[in-house]
Amino acid sequence: MTADPGPSLPPRHPAAPAGPLLEQRFDAGSLYALRAAVSAHAAAAGLSKQRVYDVTAAVHELAANAVLHGAGHGQVRLWTQDGFLHCQVSDAGPARRDDSGIPPRAVPWPAKHGHGLWIVAQVTDKSSIDHSPAGTTVTARFALSPARS
Amino acid sequence: MAADAGAQVTELTDEDHACLTFGEPEELADLTAAFIRDGLAGGLKVIWLSDTSAGAVAELARRGIDPGPALARGQLAANACDGLLLTGQAFRARDAVGWLAGQLEASRREGFPGLRVAVDMSWALRPVTGVEELPAFEEGIAAVLADSTGAVLCQYDREKFDPVTLASVAGFHTRSVAAATYYTDPLLRICRQYAPPGIRIAGELDYQAAEPLALALAEAVRLGGDITVSMTAMTFIDARCSLMVADAARTVAAAAHRVRLRCLPEVAAGFARLGVADVPGITVVTDDR
Repeated sequence: MTADPGPSLPPRHPAAPAGPLLEQRFDAGSLYALRAAVSAHAAAAGLSKQRVYDVTAAVHELAANAVLHGAGHGQVRLWTQDGFLHCQVSDAGPARRDDSGIPPRAVPWPAKHGHGLWIVAQVTDKSSIDHSPAGTTVTARFALSPARS
Repeated sequence: MAADAGAQVTELTDEDHACLTFGEPEELADLTAAFIRDGLAGGLKVIWLSDTSAGAVAELARRGIDPGPALARGQLAANACDGLLLTGQAFRARDAVGWLAGQLEASRREGFPGLRVAVDMSWALRPVTGVEELPAFEEGIAAVLADSTGAVLCQYDREKFDPVTLASVAGFHTRSVAAATYYTDPLLRICRQYAPPGIRIAGELDYQAAEPLALALAEAVRLGGDITVSMTAMTFIDARCSLMVADAARTVAAAAHRVRLRCLPEVAAGFARLGVADVPGITVVTDDR
């Protein structure tokens, strides 16, 4: 199952380069450390304070989804490519039955479920989600020279 | 998970000699402001001895307490400890206790029904001669306050004072006071806030602390009045907890009370996405402090 809120960047899930900025495993007990690392690398990539916070929030929500609804642990990779900061969150959990993917940005605030993915849709410039037998991979992309601050 | 370390500052009576322990300047300012507010509301004379008096009065105003009228009529005095409790780097317990006894007498003469004194003890952390007389000072206060209508709130930084010192003075106090704490660990602290009423969150907040957050918010809602959620020291909040704060704010606003959400600009952007700032009665205040 795949879902994409808008025109995707080809290819949808570009492979992380051999030496990504960050490659870090996480579980419920290490989300704080993950946020700290992501925040530091997003700042080093030149993003504004607000966008650094947005990147950190998006990665946290995706990682928390993996912890709560997926394998319980996973891995984050960060790299820059083609003018974007790529944040890829993967876990080995099965596809979530009620997971309809990342909603389009225009969808209003959800009343009950999907708060995390809704936040991701609001703050990313591009995002995509893929489920496969190997697990779930979400890639969120943030423009390094964003039109919005 | 709601643990109250001793009494609440709002429960103090006019005969108490209370020992307040705090962990951060914001907590000290909050509890002190509540002590002063309640004293002024009760018609008592209030003396606030802070480490440095600069900014003390402004701190009250920041918390919705207008100190001007009380200062003008001599009901409130805000001073530095230096020059009253100690002179330069010299402390003598007898002199300090004598100063307090004099203030009690003066407040009676001025027609006040009682006296409240808040004393920041941070001066005792500096090189001061006679600091070993601290237990004698606390014992002397207890003696002066006996059968009086005076209350003293001695304020100790629990991170900076060593446990031996705290233990040596604890026995002379009638009560121990601290902020009601819903959750605390090295990364997150959720406390009740007293002035203005509400809760205070510092650190990073995510779904793993949803349970204490729910309890804190529920108690704030049950106050039945205006509330302030102070999050200026909160550097991260996730989607779930943002929604919980937003829901609580909407509940309070729906009851025709005002809600102030004080937070960093990055966090405020998240609340704006939820439409919280558009709800009548809810104000999102950005603060870089």
